[in-house]
Amino acid sequence: MISLECVSKVYSGNTHALRDVSLHVGAGEIFGLLGPNGAGKSTLVKVLLTVVKPTVARGEMLGKPIGDKKTLTRVGYLPEQHRLAPYLTARQAVEFVAALSGVDRATRKKRAAELLDRVGLAQWMDRRVNIFSKGMRQRAGLAAALVNDPQIVFLDEPTDGVDPVGRVEIRDLLLQMRREGRTVFLNSHLLGEAEQVCDRVAILVQGRVVKQGRMDDLQKEGSRQELTVRWGGAGNSAGNSAGSGARGALSGADHVQVAGNGAAIGKSLPFRGMNIAPTMLANGTHQYVFADLDAAAAQPALDAARAAGGEIISLVPMRQRLEELFMKIVVDPLTGKAPPPGAGS
Amino acid sequence: MTVFTAILVDGYRELVAKKLFTLSMILSLLVVAVIGIGGLNEQGVTIVGFTIEVPFVNSTMFTPAEFYKLMFNSVGVKFWLGWLACLLALVSSAGMFPEMVSSGVVENMLSRPIPRWRLYIYKFTAGLLFTSAQMAVFCLASFLVIGLRGGAWEPGLFLAIPLVTLLYSYLFAMSALLGTVTRSAIAALLLTILFWGFLFTVNSAETIVNGFRIGSVKECQAVEALIQKRKKENADVDVSDLQTELERDQSTLGNLQLWHRVLFALKTALPKTDETTSLLQRWTLEASNMQEEGDDEAEEVAATAQKQRRRGGPGFGNSRAKTSVVVAAIEADQRSRGVGWILGTSVAFEIVTLGVGCWLFARRDF
Repeated sequence: MISLECVSKVYSGNTHALRDVSLHVGAGEIFGLLGPNGAGKSTLVKVLLTVVKPTVARGEMLGKPIGDKKTLTRVGYLPEQHRLAPYLTARQAVEFVAALSGVDRATRKKRAAELLDRVGLAQWMDRRVNIFSKGMRQRAGLAAALVNDPQIVFLDEPTDGVDPVGRVEIRDLLLQMRREGRTVFLNSHLLGEAEQVCDRVAILVQGRVVKQGRMDDLQKEGSRQELTVRWGGAGNSAGNSAGSGARGALSGADHVQVAGNGAAIGKSLPFRGMNIAPTMLANGTHQYVFADLDAAAAQPALDAARAAGGEIISLVPMRQRLEELFMKIVVDPLTGKAPPPGAGS
Repeated sequence: MTVFTAILVDGYRELVAKKLFTLSMILSLLVVAVIGIGGLNEQGVTIVGFTIEVPFVNSTMFTPAEFYKLMFNSVGVKFWLGWLACLLALVSSAGMFPEMVSSGVVENMLSRPIPRWRLYIYKFTAGLLFTSAQMAVFCLASFLVIGLRGGAWEPGLFLAIPLVTLLYSYLFAMSALLGTVTRSAIAALLLTILFWGFLFTVNSAETIVNGFRIGSVKECQAVEALIQKRKKENADVDVSDLQTELERDQSTLGNLQLWHRVLFALKTALPKTDETTSLLQRWTLEASNMQEEGDDEAEEVAATAQKQRRRGGPGFGNSRAKTSVVVAAIEADQRSRGVGWILGTSVAFEIVTLGVGCWLFARRDF
C-alpha cells in the first residue's frame, strides 16, 4: 500500500522536517504514526498527499510513485484542524470534496447522505457548518474523507476536539473502515487511542522514525509480570525482613535490599537465576517485576515469598503500554526531558 | 468538468454568502433605474416630471436614444461598471484566494487529483464568471431601458459585458496573485487598489505628457511654417527670433518625447483599464455621431487657423484654435491606438500575472 524508502524534507533555513523516513504500511491495516508535537507527522502525510513538496521522496503509494496525482482519486484525507467552508451545509461541503476527487454527481449525492448519516450528522446535513461544534465539524470532515470511497484514508488527529462519546464512535468507525478493507493511516499523539485500534505503529521523533513495528511485537518487547507481596507479621517485611524464618526459606538466595540509611527495604526473590529486588508501593506492599510473561518462571519466586512468610497479593501479566514505550523512546534518560518540537536543523 | 463545475458552484455560493455581492447587484439595477427615470425635454433633463435645466443637454441637442446611450456610457459603464462596481466586486472577491490557501482548507484542495495550476485557474474563472453575471444583469436592464425609453434597440451595449469583465480580470488577476502571496484578504484588496491607482497615475501621466508633446509638435510645425512663409515672402527677412523660438520648442519637444517614450513603454507593459472601457464608447455610441460632430468642429477650427495664417494673421497663435487642434490631434492619436495594442498588451500582462500566481501556488508548500 505505502512503502517509503527515503523521504526527506528540508525547509528553507536548513530546517529538517523529515530525515530519511522509511516505513511500510500494509493493505487493510490501521497504521499509527505517533510522535510528539512538531515531530514531522503532518509533514509526512502532506508529502504523501502532494500538499508539501519533498526534498527527496523515494517510495510508492498504491503502486505509484509518491507525488502521482491520479493516485489521489483513491485516497481520502482529513487534515489536522481542517476547515469546511462556513457558507456550505454539511452535505454541500462533503459533496464539494467528492467533486474535487472526480466523483460523479449521482454517486456523490448518495454517498454524502450515507456518510453523514454514518457519522451521526443525519439531522444536521442541511445546516451550514458555521454553526457546528468542533466535534461535529470533525465528523463532517470524516465523512468528507470517505466520500470518494478511498482505499487509503489519512486521518490527522481525527479525535481532536471530540467529546468522549464521539471518540468512541470515531474509534468504531476506524475499526469499521478496517473491516471494509481500507487502509487507515492515523496520525495521533493520543497514544491510548492508537493503542486500541492500530495494527502497526511508527514513532517519529525530530523527523526520524525511531521505532516501528507491529503493535503486538512492540508490546511484547516490554512485557512483564508484576508480583505484589505483603511482608506481614514477623517479617514486618521491609524493615526487619532478615528474620531467621525468612532467611531459611529463601535458602541462600535471599538478599535484602538496603536503603541508603542502612535500613532494609525488602527481600529479593529469585527469577530465572537472578535476584529481583522489590519496589515499595505506597500501601506498604512490595512489587517485583519479572521481565517475562511466562507464569511458570515466576513460580519459584512465589514459593520463596510464601516460605518467607510473605502474602501474595497479586501476580499480574503486563504488556508494555504504548505510552511507556513512547516515553522510553522520546524522553532523554539523562535529562528526563522530551526533545523540543521540530526536527531541528 | 466535474471539478470545474464544483469550483464554479462553490465560487457562486461563496460570493452569494457575502452580502456585498447581492448588494452590488441591487445597486447595479438601481443605477439602471436612475438612468431610466431620467428623460429630456426642450429645457433640459427631466427626472420624475421635474425639469433640471442643463445647457447643451436637451431634446434639441440629443434624441432620446442618444441621451440614454450617452448616460449608459458615461454613468453606467465609465462611472458605475468601470469604477464602483469593479471596486465592489474586488471587495467581494478579495477573500477568495486567501481563503483557498488558508490552513485547513488548502490541504483539502491540494490533496485531490487535480494539478495545482488548474485549481488556480478554475478559482480565478469562478471569480470572473460571477462578475460578468453582474455585468450581464446591468447590460440587459440598460438594453431594455434604452429600448423602451429611447426607442433604440442597441445590441452593441452587450459588448460592455466582455469589456468590463476584461477590465475587472486585469485587477482580479493581481488580487489573486497578491492573495496567494500574502494569504490576507485585506492586504490583497489594499495592494490591488494601490495597483489600480498606479495604473491610473501612469495612464494620466502618459495622457498629459502626450498632450504636451503633441502640442509641442504642433507648435514647432507652426513656427516652422511661419519661418517658411516669411522666407517665401521675403528671402532677406530676419527670422532669428523665430529660429530661437523654434530651437527652444524643439528642445522642449525632445524632452517631452523622451518622457513620453518612457511613460508609453511603461503603459504598454501595464493593463489599460481606462482605454479598455473607452473601447465601448468607440464601438457602440453611435453617439460616435456626436464624436464625429466634435471632430468636425475641431477640424473647422483648425481650418480657420490655417486660413488666418494664410492671411498672415496669428494663425496657430490663436489659443482657441490651438487648443482645438491639439485636442483633435490628441484624440486622433488615442484613437490610432489599435484594439490589438490596448487589449493585446493588457491581456499579455494578465497572462503573466496569472502565470506567476500559478507558478507560486504550484511550487509552494502549504
